[in-house]
Amino acid sequence: MTTAPAAPALVRRRDCLVAGVAGGLADHLGWPVQAVRVAFAVTALLAGAGALLYAWLWAFTPWAEPLGPDDRVVRRAPVAIVATAGALGAAILAILLAILDDGPADGNAPDWLVPAALAVLLAAGAGAWVSFIDRPDPARGRRLEVWVRAALTAVLALLAVVLVLGPAARAWPVIAVLAAFGALLGIGLVYLPALVKLWRDLEGERVRRIRDEQRSAMAAHLHDSVLQTLALIQNRAGASSEAGRLARAQERELRSWLHDGDALADSDLATDLRDFAAALELDYPVRIDVVAVGMSDERASGELAAAAREAMLNAARHAGGEVSVYLEGSARAVDVYVRDRGPGFDPAKVAPGRLGVRESIIGRMRRAGGSATVRAGAGGEGTEVHLRFETRVEHG
Amino acid sequence: MADTLTVVVVDDHSIFRSGLRADLDRSIEVVGEAADVPSAVAVIAATRPHVVLLDVHLPGGSDASVSGGAEVLRRVASEVPSTRFLALSVSDKAEDVVGVIRAGARGYITKGASGAEVSRAVQAVAGGDAVFSPRLAGFVLDAFGAAVGETAAADDELDRLSAREQEVMRLIARGYAYKEVAATLFISAKTVESHVSSVLRKLQLSSRHELTAWATARRLL
Repeated sequence: MTTAPAAPALVRRRDCLVAGVAGGLADHLGWPVQAVRVAFAVTALLAGAGALLYAWLWAFTPWAEPLGPDDRVVRRAPVAIVATAGALGAAILAILLAILDDGPADGNAPDWLVPAALAVLLAAGAGAWVSFIDRPDPARGRRLEVWVRAALTAVLALLAVVLVLGPAARAWPVIAVLAAFGALLGIGLVYLPALVKLWRDLEGERVRRIRDEQRSAMAAHLHDSVLQTLALIQNRAGASSEAGRLARAQERELRSWLHDGDALADSDLATDLRDFAAALELDYPVRIDVVAVGMSDERASGELAAAAREAMLNAARHAGGEVSVYLEGSARAVDVYVRDRGPGFDPAKVAPGRLGVRESIIGRMRRAGGSATVRAGAGGEGTEVHLRFETRVEHG
Repeated sequence: MADTLTVVVVDDHSIFRSGLRADLDRSIEVVGEAADVPSAVAVIAATRPHVVLLDVHLPGGSDASVSGGAEVLRRVASEVPSTRFLALSVSDKAEDVVGVIRAGARGYITKGASGAEVSRAVQAVAGGDAVFSPRLAGFVLDAFGAAVGETAAADDELDRLSAREQEVMRLIARGYAYKEVAATLFISAKTVESHVSSVLRKLQLSSRHELTAWATARRLL
């Protein structure tokens, strides 16, 4: 055994006939699938050992790992339809036998009892299968469920009526009434899984609503207490002080958690620049306001983002204090302005050896097909960097 | 400022009120304080200040669908027509403030602002100007469709901004002070202020879907 290559793990195939048990076992043992199926069928005849083993494996073997997000379990055998057909056949047989019933002369139990019981069992099974297993499957789903239920209800009701009103009731008064009652119970069993499922869904919905309520109650509380305190700290300590910056970073984090805790983090340019601003505020004595207007499909990984980050870093490093970042995306172009109120600087006077601004901002934008201007801010105070990126026409 | 400006501070946090009182400019006198909606209405009606510094989130409101600050404005603004309201918000989110602005506040300032900034804003509001932060200017540009190229054909149109108003809002969003906006656009500071006031009026009166939707979302929170 130790020399044999490791057998594949015992998992159920996702592309299967009924439950993937035989296929999975065949993969594991290296046998042909049909052989495994025959083995199950034969051993099932030995006092049900095979059926028991099948049920055991069904319950305790996991599904194979999905290969992708769209890799859903496919069951090729229409189990619900087969069970429904069986139930219908058995019920019709029972109805015919009940109509033809001519009294207890030929035995001590009515002929229609076994088919009737079989019909109820198969109907309950079909109902459970369509509710629990077929409903998530888009190829079967709700329509099949409705048809299966309707057919089973009709035939079981007919069976009950025939048993009570037909000749069977005269021949076997007690057994016929009990059997009719059993048929009605079978109708209940057909619908029971749907009710269980509905109840579960409602319960899930209720839990979700409670969680939402708790969350908004917590948000309201934090808004009234922690956020106010953080604002107060910023106010008392000064916006550019260490304590003020820490309070601001905490406030930002808490706020984004409160307001879009469940939303997926999208990596558009505005979000990326906001995150970068938050990081800079921790490292430098600076307060960066990021205002974004309009829609932009500009990605955070683009050259524009890199140049904007560089401009923000320069402003934080050399100017400090208040920095304004304004981002406007329109159908034709994306504009980013980074404005600081520092000592200002003249790109013409920068030593040729210092490549910072020229290469990382102006050169980068030009290579990417955009433009960048660096000039003194309004009134000669500070510096303003303007990055512009024309959206390509085919881009949309 | 020849006269001292009288203000009432409405905020449910006493630490914040006393901190603000200590930090305000000397030309500003705090004549009253209030911590919830009913006492704010009473104090404002009794003292008739020049300016009310009004917290957006206040306890004691009778209607849960409206923020406390907006309710104060609704209940008392018509009684004291000469009083200007400046909203104070713990957040810099314009959505938080649009409800109060639409109820009649002349601007808003965040609670993280320094005493000097608050004092400047109080003086501006007392002088009849509107106070716009970069964030609010950005919100306005978005809400009035400026970024997608909507421009008012006539000046008195309520649902869109004129080209000049858009320029002014863009510069404010870029962090320019009114004086810098004036210098950049070669217009007087008074003209800038009148553009900002006109935008504020549109913000208060417009029935644009985006504005009402934001206000509704705010109330639901």
